[in-house]
Amino acid sequence: MGEPGKRVGYIRDAWLVVLLALVFGGGLAGVQRGLSEKIAENKKQETYSVIPDLVEGADPGKTVELVVEGRDGKEARVYKVFDGEGGHGGWVVAADGQGFADRIEVLVGLDRELATITGLYVLEQKETPGLGDYITSESFRSRFRGTPADTALVVVKDDPKAGNEIRALTGATISSESVAEIVNAALANVRDAIGEREGSEAGADSTE
Amino acid sequence: MPREEPTGLERFINGVLPENPVYRQLLGMCPTLAVTNAMKPALTMAAATAFVLICANVLVSLIRGSLRPHLRILVFTLTIATFVTVADRFLAAYVYEMSKELGPYVPLIIVNCLIISRCEICASKQKVGVAAADAVGMSLGFAVALASIATVREILGSGTWLGLRALPASWPGWGIMVLPPGAFLTLGLLLGAAEWATRARASTGLWKTVRMLWSWRH
Amino acid sequence: MAQEEAKQGEGSAKGAGPEIEVAPSPHVSETAVTTQRMMVDVAIALAPAMAMAVAIFRWYAVVQVGLCVLSCLASEAVFTRMRGKPVALWDFSAVVTGVILGLSLPWSAPWYIAVIGSAAAIGLGKAAFGGLGYNIFNPAMVGRAFVMLSFAKALGASAYVFGESGMAVVTEATPLTVAKKVAADLAAGKVAGGDVQVQLAHARELWPLLVGNVNGSLGETSALALLVGGVYLCVRRTASWEIPAGTLLSAFAFSALANAANLTPFTAFHHLVGGALLFGAFFIATDPVTSPIAPKGKFAFGVGVGFLVIVLRVFSGYPEGVMFAVLLMNGAVPLMNRWTIPRPVGGPTPEKA
Repeated sequence: MGEPGKRVGYIRDAWLVVLLALVFGGGLAGVQRGLSEKIAENKKQETYSVIPDLVEGADPGKTVELVVEGRDGKEARVYKVFDGEGGHGGWVVAADGQGFADRIEVLVGLDRELATITGLYVLEQKETPGLGDYITSESFRSRFRGTPADTALVVVKDDPKAGNEIRALTGATISSESVAEIVNAALANVRDAIGEREGSEAGADSTE
Repeated sequence: MPREEPTGLERFINGVLPENPVYRQLLGMCPTLAVTNAMKPALTMAAATAFVLICANVLVSLIRGSLRPHLRILVFTLTIATFVTVADRFLAAYVYEMSKELGPYVPLIIVNCLIISRCEICASKQKVGVAAADAVGMSLGFAVALASIATVREILGSGTWLGLRALPASWPGWGIMVLPPGAFLTLGLLLGAAEWATRARASTGLWKTVRMLWSWRH
Repeated sequence: MAQEEAKQGEGSAKGAGPEIEVAPSPHVSETAVTTQRMMVDVAIALAPAMAMAVAIFRWYAVVQVGLCVLSCLASEAVFTRMRGKPVALWDFSAVVTGVILGLSLPWSAPWYIAVIGSAAAIGLGKAAFGGLGYNIFNPAMVGRAFVMLSFAKALGASAYVFGESGMAVVTEATPLTVAKKVAADLAAGKVAGGDVQVQLAHARELWPLLVGNVNGSLGETSALALLVGGVYLCVRRTASWEIPAGTLLSAFAFSALANAANLTPFTAFHHLVGGALLFGAFFIATDPVTSPIAPKGKFAFGVGVGFLVIVLRVFSGYPEGVMFAVLLMNGAVPLMNRWTIPRPVGGPTPEKA
């Protein structure tokens, strides 16, 4: 240690590593620069491409992403959706929560007045194959369409009698309930924030 | 030279079956178990691994003259990590779906022992051509292994192959095959089958011819 | 042969010669105690439960169990042949595996579940480990876990509900499913709906649980039939009493705790007689191959099973936990055997104590 000769030796030994690190670092910076935009676009696209499915007549290109502060004090993602002519079509709320197996991430479509759920999309789930993973199926998601957004959803085993009842998937009551609870929690969480932001327009039904 | 290193062609052939990374060397178990629940992720993983392996082998072979013995592992890791990052970014940019499905397993190619072992065994000692042939052979062997496991798991588990319906829709998917236990069971059974087939064929037909050609070359 | 070696083992301190034969305990040097005799004993002990299953589920029980037994025998024949071993169907071990697997399935399980479950039980559960005596996990439970994870939908809660019984079965969810539902509602801060309350009231009646006219797996419904068979097994020493005793005691204690903590609407007694606990304690956990050798280890094994059953019933997504509890404890058996090496009479354990 400390001998000048040895120190030179270290540097001579390490020149390849240093050179490679520099070259690789530069290369990676180039790759990141070239691709980062496309990757970010992909992520956005993933959410935006399903928006017409969630709010009827929506134009994904005109969607505006808002970050609002939810009731839980955390930031929540909300998308303000416009139709082709630029008129305000509705809202999409991103939500997640614990499912039966792992976290479930969903997007919930709402009408302009935040009164009715207009669609549901499951972005991410790892529920039991053959049972819980049917939460991604159209037949299950459509059970949410047209349900009221201002009363909490309840999962039932038989055919729904009240408007806010969702029929559970056979053999996957817990997954079904998880989705309903995630939707309930997310709506309650951002309702006031959206109302505030929109002032009088949507604030009227933000009482609970 | 202390002992004769295999030629490029030998390296290539060895990689595909005789020294298959999964069935013979039991390397790369993490992706083998984790991403073989269907063909698409398995093939994507095989392609990403092939890219990293070929690039790393070629580069290491090119700089093998300047490698210091005590720094070589550092250089290998640096090289592999770089190409893995490149592969990861490209997947995220061009096959986003797959990149999301594979999740952490693409970055984890860095710790796939298959790659570092090829750098150590072949690329750091042999010419670029041999190193490239070795990488291609090993990549093919890895792809064959992943695809065979994924074929069993996807067909039994979902009744599909590469996303296409392979069995009638009334097929009750064997959920366990899609779940992690299915990976262990399939790997174990196929390993056994591979071992059995090798032994059974050691004395017959095609295998004998290959062996003869082999000994003749030496 | 085996006896000679066993005698040598007793004589020398080292004991373990390279060719020791592993056979199901108890290691009694009496020719009458054969695998075959033990297995026939188990079959006799299962007769009352089988009779109740037929009384309640009629032909479904006969078909289900029959199919499992036949598939297990066929699998046994195929797999032992593949391994180049003499086929020994007459030790009846495959029959017992088939009966236990069949009785642990719901009446409604489609035929392919019985066949695949049996093949998995014998092939994965037994043959893959080297045949009878070498398997780590209870073969019947391996088979059941395989089909349970594979065909979750066909074996879900609704598969157990039976409408055409000969004994006026309460045509409702199984008692434990009801308990699970009520507990889930409680946890969510809700009060269960009216129909669930009615079901809970029914499920709380003890008499049907004892006789068996409730819904459930084919063989688990009647507590009395299982008790009769189980006690017979223990008296005949085919099953070691320590295992069911440990299982039932710990299940009772932990379910009483869970009930006191308001985690389950069932009392400890309900937990004992409802569901597959008795079936598991007497017939599944007592498998001599996959349970510990020493009495102390057996009792500890039972305690572990009982504890896990209650943990799974209360906290897992499944209403019942016997299968996974037994499989998990099976995995711990080698360790328990190491911890509970009995002291030889007249001295401490040689070498490492």
